[in-house]
Amino acid sequence: MDFEQSPDHYVGTARVGSGGKPKKAPVPVKIIVAGGFGVGKTTTVGAISEISPLTTEAEMTSESVGIDNPGQATMKTTTTIAMDFGVLTIDQTLKLYIFGTPGQSRFAFMWDDLIKGALGALVVVDTARIDDCYPAVDYFERAGLPFVVGVNTFNGQMNYNLEEVRWALAVRDDVPVLSFDARFRASVRDALLVVLDQALDKAIRARST
Amino acid sequence: MTYPDADDPAHPARPSVRPFLQSGLPSAGGYRPTSLGEPPVDESATTLRPFVITSGRTDGADPDIGMETQVTVNHAAVPMRLSPEMRAIVALCGEPLSVAEISARLRLHLGVTRILVGDLRAAGQLDVHVLDNETPDPETIMRVIRGLRAIT
Repeated sequence: MDFEQSPDHYVGTARVGSGGKPKKAPVPVKIIVAGGFGVGKTTTVGAISEISPLTTEAEMTSESVGIDNPGQATMKTTTTIAMDFGVLTIDQTLKLYIFGTPGQSRFAFMWDDLIKGALGALVVVDTARIDDCYPAVDYFERAGLPFVVGVNTFNGQMNYNLEEVRWALAVRDDVPVLSFDARFRASVRDALLVVLDQALDKAIRARST
Repeated sequence: MTYPDADDPAHPARPSVRPFLQSGLPSAGGYRPTSLGEPPVDESATTLRPFVITSGRTDGADPDIGMETQVTVNHAAVPMRLSPEMRAIVALCGEPLSVAEISARLRLHLGVTRILVGDLRAAGQLDVHVLDNETPDPETIMRVIRGLRAIT
């Protein structure tokens, strides 16, 4: 019970200035769920979130050079993308946000904002379209963000085994490659726990240096 | 262990490798740019275009204001005239709320939301809870791990 709280006058109105102490805001932490279109990012977010996933729209600037358009000048395009996210209240003072972000653009400057302060990332992979996740893997490697590759086994089916996926991605040995089912909460939870293990390792290493 | 040539588009017996690992042209399922066509046009003609809401600004959001940053009403603020969008934001923030949630609930573009939240902060109407340390410390991560383990 919270005796110090004044009754909430503010629901549905914009009145301000009548005094009262605002509730202490929880500390937010976030994990990124990245992957190509339709690999199950929103399903992953929805499985773990305590609210049904919300959607926000954001600008994404992408630049395609060299390999994409050989011989052409740099092209910059700005598109509006939809980002789904969910929330999990750890306790009164700690909230976990899970942001699902599309990963089809090779140079996605918006990600710089997104990964600032993030604990780590889960890269969702569909074995039928492995190449969809390359930009995300490239980006997180370069940014030094701890990440885990999670192969979404939609129907318990995988076209390639985990060793083959690891080979195709050529990720470092210490990057976990695991399979999970985005539809099940316990499965998503376990995948996120592996991400958090990586995040913890990095945080401890950062402290000891 | 031998693998087939990943660059052979006719027989991609294995998942293709990342583009920088391939030799020659990116032919075997390497990265291809998504359509460079027109960006999607907002079809809702009733809403204002974003730059009208932000008084012409498209940039300059406070880098401290992230998507997960918590925002609350400043109950001690002096009442002032606010635009409908700003009033709606203030009305939502009786309880701590993240910038992303404000954006989603009001169906405001994320960039627009960040600019307006920054303005409301500057005007003293909102408290924006900026974290002291940008990178999470091990203790916080341990708490998240324990919290996640507890859910079923």
